Amino acid sequence: MIECRDLRKLYQMGNVGVRALDGIDLTIGKGEFVGIMGPSGSGKSTLLHMLGLLDIPTSGEITLDGIDVNTLNDYQKTMFRLYKLGYVFQDYALVPELTVAENVSLPAMLRSDRTEEEFQAATEDILQRVGLSDRRDHLQKELSGGEQQRVAIARAIVNRPDILFADEPCANLDTENSTMVLDLFDEINHDMHQTIVMVSHEDWHKKYFHRIIRLRDGKIVEDNHALS
Amino acid sequence: MGKKELKVAFFLAWRSLRRGSRSSAILTILIVGMCFTNMIFLPSLFAGIGQTIKTQIVDYEVGNVLVSPQAGEQYITDLDATLDLINSMPGVERATPHYAKGATLKYRQRILGSSIRAIRPTDEKSVSPIYEKMIAGSYLGEGDTGEIIIGKIIAGDPTIPAEEEFYSSLGGVRVGDSITVEFGNGYTKDYRVKGIFSTGWTSSDNSALITWSDMELVEGGSLDKAEYITLKTKPGYSEKFVKDELVSYGVSSQVHTTDDLLSKAIGSVLQSFDIINMVSLIVSIIITTVVLFIVITIKTINSRKQIGILRAIGVDKEVIMHNYGFQVIILATFGIMLGVTLAVLLALYLSYHPIVTPEWSAYMYLTPMDLVSNSLILFAAAIVAGYVPAYQVSREEIQSSMRA
Repeated sequence: MIECRDLRKLYQMGNVGVRALDGIDLTIGKGEFVGIMGPSGSGKSTLLHMLGLLDIPTSGEITLDGIDVNTLNDYQKTMFRLYKLGYVFQDYALVPELTVAENVSLPAMLRSDRTEEEFQAATEDILQRVGLSDRRDHLQKELSGGEQQRVAIARAIVNRPDILFADEPCANLDTENSTMVLDLFDEINHDMHQTIVMVSHEDWHKKYFHRIIRLRDGKIVEDNHALS
Repeated sequence: MGKKELKVAFFLAWRSLRRGSRSSAILTILIVGMCFTNMIFLPSLFAGIGQTIKTQIVDYEVGNVLVSPQAGEQYITDLDATLDLINSMPGVERATPHYAKGATLKYRQRILGSSIRAIRPTDEKSVSPIYEKMIAGSYLGEGDTGEIIIGKIIAGDPTIPAEEEFYSSLGGVRVGDSITVEFGNGYTKDYRVKGIFSTGWTSSDNSALITWSDMELVEGGSLDKAEYITLKTKPGYSEKFVKDELVSYGVSSQVHTTDDLLSKAIGSVLQSFDIINMVSLIVSIIITTVVLFIVITIKTINSRKQIGILRAIGVDKEVIMHNYGFQVIILATFGIMLGVTLAVLLALYLSYHPIVTPEWSAYMYLTPMDLVSNSLILFAAAIVAGYVPAYQVSREEIQSSMRA
């Protein structure tokens, strides 16, 4: 599902070059729930952004679902993200002027292979799954943090992506809401056989992951199947 | 960019305006509306002044077409036959001759130099509406002799001393008063003032009219000549058509339409108006463009992170660009609609309550074409102002947008 070889990312900070990623080799299979962990500045988010086609590596290869993504142009990458990838961000990243249902529908609306009836049915189905059917017409400002993140998750999976990327999705949530979100990821992973790659720095999240990839200074220092 | 993408862009734009900052949207619409009104107000007011001047010149000076004597001659001779010919021509409603003679007018202690114009009242009524502008007494009748009608300026105001008058007058003549007229040829006669008129057109209000028969007495015989002939065209006939007909029939080689004369008489004034209009138009467009540019730039800068997120989840940059583009189009459309409404209301108000000056009354001369062309200009400016920042921000790297 995900393969990367000798992935490197070098940022130039003034006159100093910073190696955010320093030769990452990685393979993630379908249906895995992978946690990327490590201290601040270890390269967790950078790796996630590279795998999620949100940033371009300085060198190295990334193959997603058998496609060498380096060969894709900007528009093709956008379409790849739309059709094959889903994202959940730390700060929910909802469109404040859209209702819950509209936010969830947005990526589905743009798909050329979905009719309005189909994407509306998909939205209702996902909202049911994340337990927000009764909040479908509410705006972002009317929701709690946990609810907002559940909307973001619903939006990320409405297109049934091959891979779901989550960048510290619980960073702004209390323990109760974090548990709710992680339980939801676990359920999606289990029920839908959804591949999930999630960045986290909370140790107690480990119990949810099938596998933990630990980074330090842009290198993988640990890669195990840390099933709780 | 397919239909679906445009639909989503419009959906995002409409939601953003409906559920976003209402005060910002209303303020932007107001600014566009005011800019439109500003664009249209001054030019249409100048056009209104131009129209007023043109109407007054047509009504009180030259009619739709002015026939002057042949080159090198002082008068149009064989007048009755010429008038018969002109009146029988297609497109001519009526023609009326004019003959003026220099004279001195005396009333009590006042003496005023003027020229006395002879008219044929019935024909004159068909060409000039002075008969509708009588503020005292009545208009001349066809067979009147010994009677004169004078403009308001000549009549004067008894409360204003002679030394304070802008235009010299007879110091307060009233209907029924008798004034003595000494013509240049020595003929002197007392005329009873039959009426006083006020047209608002200075040269007209500074004139005195007697009947053709009276002027024949002054000249001591039949008056079969005229200094010039003015005529009114029938509806549906252009002045140019009538002019060409008159020339081709050999009435005179000196035939001018109102537009011919206007371009000579007030052409430079109208040119000045055009320059001021152009400056006003450019200033309005610049203001609108800058305002919309700032509004959309602020909007996009504030939404950089959201734009990054939208791109991350697979929303194409074209959709994002058109989202902001549509917002500008919607704001500009509402602004222009407001502007059109304000302009029409203003025009309607000024048509009932024109800005009155001593020389003319100004109203807004507004045509549907003015509204359409100004709307299109403003609309185009708005699109440029909106799409430039939208294009820039939609091209930004996802990572730098998301870090904003």
